[in-house]
Amino acid sequence: MSLIVLGLNHKTAPVEIREKLAFNTQETIREGLKRLIQTEGINEAVIFSTCNRVEVYAYSNEENESIIEKIKHFLSDFHNIPIKDFEEYLYIYIDRDAVSHLFKVASSLDSMIVGEPQITGQVKDSYEIALSERATSLILNHLMNRALFTAKRVRNETRIGENPVSVSYAAVGLIKKVFDELSKKFILLVGAGEMAELAIRHLIGSGIKNVYVTNRTYARAEELAREFSGTAVPFENLKEHIARSDIIICSTGAPNYVITEQMIKEVMLLRKHKPLFLIDISVPRNIDPACNELDNVYLYNIDDLQDVVDSNILERKKEADKALSIIEEETEKFFQWLNSLQSVPVIVSIRNKAEQVRQEELEKFKARFKELSPEVLASVDYLTQSIINKIMHSPTVALKNNCDSKEILIFAARRLFGLDSEEE
Amino acid sequence: MGTIFFELALTLYFAGFLLSLAGIVRKKDDLDEAVFLLSVGGLALHTVYLAVRYIKSGQAPVFSMHEATSFFAWSILLISLCIRFSYKARVLNFGVILSFAFMFVSAFFPRSIPSVKPELKSLLIDFHALMAVFGIALFSIAFIFSVLYLIQERAIKYKKFGGIDRILPSLEILDRINYRLVFWGFPIYTFALVIGMIKYVSLLGFRFDPKEIWSFLIWIVYLTIFYLRVKGDWRKKKAAYLTIVGFLLVIFGFFGINLLTESFHKPL
Repeated sequence: MSLIVLGLNHKTAPVEIREKLAFNTQETIREGLKRLIQTEGINEAVIFSTCNRVEVYAYSNEENESIIEKIKHFLSDFHNIPIKDFEEYLYIYIDRDAVSHLFKVASSLDSMIVGEPQITGQVKDSYEIALSERATSLILNHLMNRALFTAKRVRNETRIGENPVSVSYAAVGLIKKVFDELSKKFILLVGAGEMAELAIRHLIGSGIKNVYVTNRTYARAEELAREFSGTAVPFENLKEHIARSDIIICSTGAPNYVITEQMIKEVMLLRKHKPLFLIDISVPRNIDPACNELDNVYLYNIDDLQDVVDSNILERKKEADKALSIIEEETEKFFQWLNSLQSVPVIVSIRNKAEQVRQEELEKFKARFKELSPEVLASVDYLTQSIINKIMHSPTVALKNNCDSKEILIFAARRLFGLDSEEE
Repeated sequence: MGTIFFELALTLYFAGFLLSLAGIVRKKDDLDEAVFLLSVGGLALHTVYLAVRYIKSGQAPVFSMHEATSFFAWSILLISLCIRFSYKARVLNFGVILSFAFMFVSAFFPRSIPSVKPELKSLLIDFHALMAVFGIALFSIAFIFSVLYLIQERAIKYKKFGGIDRILPSLEILDRINYRLVFWGFPIYTFALVIGMIKYVSLLGFRFDPKEIWSFLIWIVYLTIFYLRVKGDWRKKKAAYLTIVGFLLVIFGFFGINLLTESFHKPL
């Protein structure tokens, strides 16, 4: 019996291949699961498909090689693509490696952006589809639940997802360190660079409602303003509009400082020194760096933002090490559980046999000593029971415990207690 | 008198203090819920202690160093909890640390009930003393928020993150809380001073002791902060610096003047 995961992701396969093998809708996943479950040798299955990865998890009681071939054929038939076209991009993990891989995926350690939060939800959704299709049972149900639990532990016990790792998100994070209710703040977009647009989009997602856009070409300002449901303002009145805004994102193609220290000094007087957050995404820079020296003015240029992102990435990598040890621990726990499943039938058989022997001997004893009172017989019954329990205690513990020689122990137990001869 | 409640409260505060410290050092707020529960439990027991003392002695529990420091700690924690509810800002940790520090100090002062002169046994004097201590507790929390503001501001200005800025709310919130504390603290402190002055003059005439002069100095500083803030001229960083100066005067007034000078106000 073994656990197998076969799949490909953004690290192993180009996007063209990932696209071809993707299960894009819930229906295709359901259809795929139905086919997988009908495949001989596959007892349980889960299909996990996102834009970055396609993975098939299977629990099987056949030879690994044959199951791997069956899954490859399934993918090939289902997507109508020859095996040779995708085979080289596949990774295959078995048993412990498969469990550890799933835990890493669910905890977002295997993601393109380590620590991104969506992946756990995607794993959960895939599991729910498999559950509703009755494609999972005891083993994969437990495995998937442990994967979600592990992801939760990683999220709670490490800071893996805490700091933003894209420039525009980092900018939003910084703005939130200064301002509280973004919905009441005014933002001014100076120029129309691509990165500035992205930052504004994230800001709008974070609650910013009041957007001004200004550009040397007024028509372009109007066009952008429409896109963000904002207001276009003339470039000539820049100072006035800076005074009215709380956040300025500057991204023009100008070769010099569009916003000068003197301008901000005057603006701050008009604003009664209310904090002003400036983001300069232009290269060459369009905001005089000296502005940052002014009280209640915070200026970040593209390098500053990149530094914040880099240190956040570093932080996430450090946290990933902590996460790996959690995953190691949880993988171990899962295998303890899996191993305990193997010994349960043996323990039950031994106990049944012992109980059967006890009952037989007890009957013989009762037939031989008919004159004994019920109290004495009850005592004998109790005595035999406790002798059996005491004798059975050590073998039960040995079988339940996880150790390297577990399979030998199970084999030995079957022989020692004559379980195989009986079954035969 | 009800000392067991004091010991129990002190124990809970200590646990809260340790968890708060752990939260700050680890730069995570996962212990905040436990800190909150310990604070509420500690505050409840502390309230019972103060109430028992008040009922049994018939005078406000603020006339000895033990009582004043313990009531000060109680006020700080109460205010910190109010801030947590009002602003959802996860900064209770800092209040708990300050509150425990004063509670701990109060444990070293004699706990016997001070015998207050019969002419000072009046509801007005009780009000005066309770409000004065509560007012400076508000100023003390304002001090904490000023320090936190400066820490957060420095991190943003110099682009050095990863310290306790991680668990702090935005500058805007820190400044708003600071403003509110001074906004409430100043009238309460003024009111306490006025009541005290009226009662004092009626008893002793116009001759002032060092404590009163010092209190007046504190009042002047907070009047300045209050005026500049309400007017809107001084905000943020400058207000934070001035609040820190105010707190240093408050603390010297509380311990230094009380213990070093001979005055009518010397704790019993």
